[in-house]
Amino acid sequence: MNSSTLRVFRAFRESLVMSLRSIGSNKVRSFLTALGVMIGVAAVIALVALGNGAQLSVQQSLESLGSNLLLVYSGEPRGGSLVRRSTTNITPTLSEEDLNFIRALGSELVVMAAPESSATAQLKYGSVNTVATVIGTGTGYPDIRNFLPVHGQFFSELDVDTRKAVAVIGVQVYRDLFPEGFDPLGQSIRINGINHRVVGIMEEKGSSSSDAAVFVPISTFQRYISGERNYALINVQAASAEVMRELQTIIENGILRSHRLSGMDSADFYIANQLDLLSTMQGVTETFTVLLGSIAAISLIVGGIGIMNIMLVSVSERTREIGVRMALGARGSDILQQFITEAVIISLIGGLVGIGLGVGASWAATRFGGMAARVSLNSVVLAFGFAFVIGLFFGGYPAFRASRLDPIEALRYE
Amino acid sequence: MSALIEFDDISRHYRMGPSTVKAIDGVSLTVAEGEFVSIIGPSGSGKSTLMNIIGCLDSPTGGIYRLAGTDVSRMDRNSLAGVRNRYIGFVFQTFNLLGRESALENVELPLVYAGIPSKERKERALEMLERVGLGDRSDHVPNQLSGGQRQRVAIARALAGEPKLLLADEPTGALDTKTGVEIMKLFHELNTEGVTLVMVTHDNDLARQVKRVVQIRDGQVLQDVAAEEFEV
Repeated sequence: MNSSTLRVFRAFRESLVMSLRSIGSNKVRSFLTALGVMIGVAAVIALVALGNGAQLSVQQSLESLGSNLLLVYSGEPRGGSLVRRSTTNITPTLSEEDLNFIRALGSELVVMAAPESSATAQLKYGSVNTVATVIGTGTGYPDIRNFLPVHGQFFSELDVDTRKAVAVIGVQVYRDLFPEGFDPLGQSIRINGINHRVVGIMEEKGSSSSDAAVFVPISTFQRYISGERNYALINVQAASAEVMRELQTIIENGILRSHRLSGMDSADFYIANQLDLLSTMQGVTETFTVLLGSIAAISLIVGGIGIMNIMLVSVSERTREIGVRMALGARGSDILQQFITEAVIISLIGGLVGIGLGVGASWAATRFGGMAARVSLNSVVLAFGFAFVIGLFFGGYPAFRASRLDPIEALRYE
Repeated sequence: MSALIEFDDISRHYRMGPSTVKAIDGVSLTVAEGEFVSIIGPSGSGKSTLMNIIGCLDSPTGGIYRLAGTDVSRMDRNSLAGVRNRYIGFVFQTFNLLGRESALENVELPLVYAGIPSKERKERALEMLERVGLGDRSDHVPNQLSGGQRQRVAIARALAGEPKLLLADEPTGALDTKTGVEIMKLFHELNTEGVTLVMVTHDNDLARQVKRVVQIRDGQVLQDVAAEEFEV
């Protein structure tokens, strides 16, 4: 260290000691001053954590739908409606040719595709009756939708080809039809009066539309339930996120051509893209996070104004002290440094305690409030840095005023 | 003895709207090293302004002020702070000790601004407290000290930076007579040891106790004489 950095370092240490002594000599006031920053920092951390948690849970629930998913729906395009909807009441317009066209697009675009139609049907096992949604689909469905059988297995390609009357039941259906809880595999259940052999139970998904469904081969569904050759929906898993937009355009154009339609305005189908859904939801939750963070930031600024207020009082109370220090050789910069250091220390102490409070509040919200709060390191660093800057900025003006005092006036001050 | 304070036609004028107040007007004065001078005058005479200029708290609007050979009459705030720190020790009527700090810490203050490391600072401050007879009171805060003790701490603080000049403003004004006499005795001892002292007062009897008396009236020097020749 050369002598001038040594001097700066020493001067800094002096003002640190002086500031700590001054803060310590007025504990209640220092605490109340720091409280504003404390609350501000805690609010930033806790609210950003809540926002992040919301973002994460939205993302997770979207990913649980399956990855890189394109949904080709029958029906008139509905602008912006991307949320998955029931296919039960849709008039199916998508043909086997459309499905084959998509499947033939090649592995660099499409991993697999599965048709889907559904209807509400009466289910019966022994004397137990229930009503459920029966979904006719292909063998690719579990992989595409990331929804796998937990017991037994899904039906096979052979079952589809031979229109086998087999069924994979959702966990809720299982609970309804087999309240005694014994193994349903190999048992026959009646769907709209037709016997279907149970070959598997699907895993629990947590949503009633998935758990209260029965899956049968699409061919069987067409034969016994709908009597309809077309599909309500085609589930498509794209090869990657990058090709999804391209794939969407190719599918749109292909189906428009085979349906002899001029454009999407008059189409009898539309495509929902998981990416769009994801980005829409992310946009919403991001706005939410920014909004919460901004509100918290305002409270931080209010805390800063509190610091400025108290520092101004402190400077005016200590005018005579400042005069004495100046008479003894303190330069304006020494006085400036002393008061800024004091403001920054109060602010940083508030910041540290605020971080503790914010992390604690986030933990409590998760633990007891049932909310998904997720503290990000970024928000901690940001809030702490913000506390530092606020001390510097709002302490700066009172300190500047102190440093510009005329020593003669200051010494005369009563 | 070489000259410590050289005032060459010093004036300090204040502009008050359209008129000019001449607080100090054409004062020439020399104080040699080792002198003990009292500056006397009634309030409003300009003696406070004179003291502020001598103490480098204020700058003259006219004339040249050399302190220990250096022209300080046109220096900026920061340089003046440095000059005060190195050359001048202040003793005030109301002591002006920092109430939260101990006697030792008060004495350390000028050394803090001189950038002297903590350990050396403490040693020197303690030395100064011992010199004014308060070595055993170093950890007392001003509230725990009597008026005379407080003024002694203030004198120790003024001496800590080993200044060329001790500048005292009514140093006995807030003390009872007996304690005032003790403080004057301390000043005389310090002067015997070679410290140059300038004392500002309005008390003629006090002024007469020192070697040389400078009487100020209406911003000008009325008399500048040896104490025994001083006429009220």
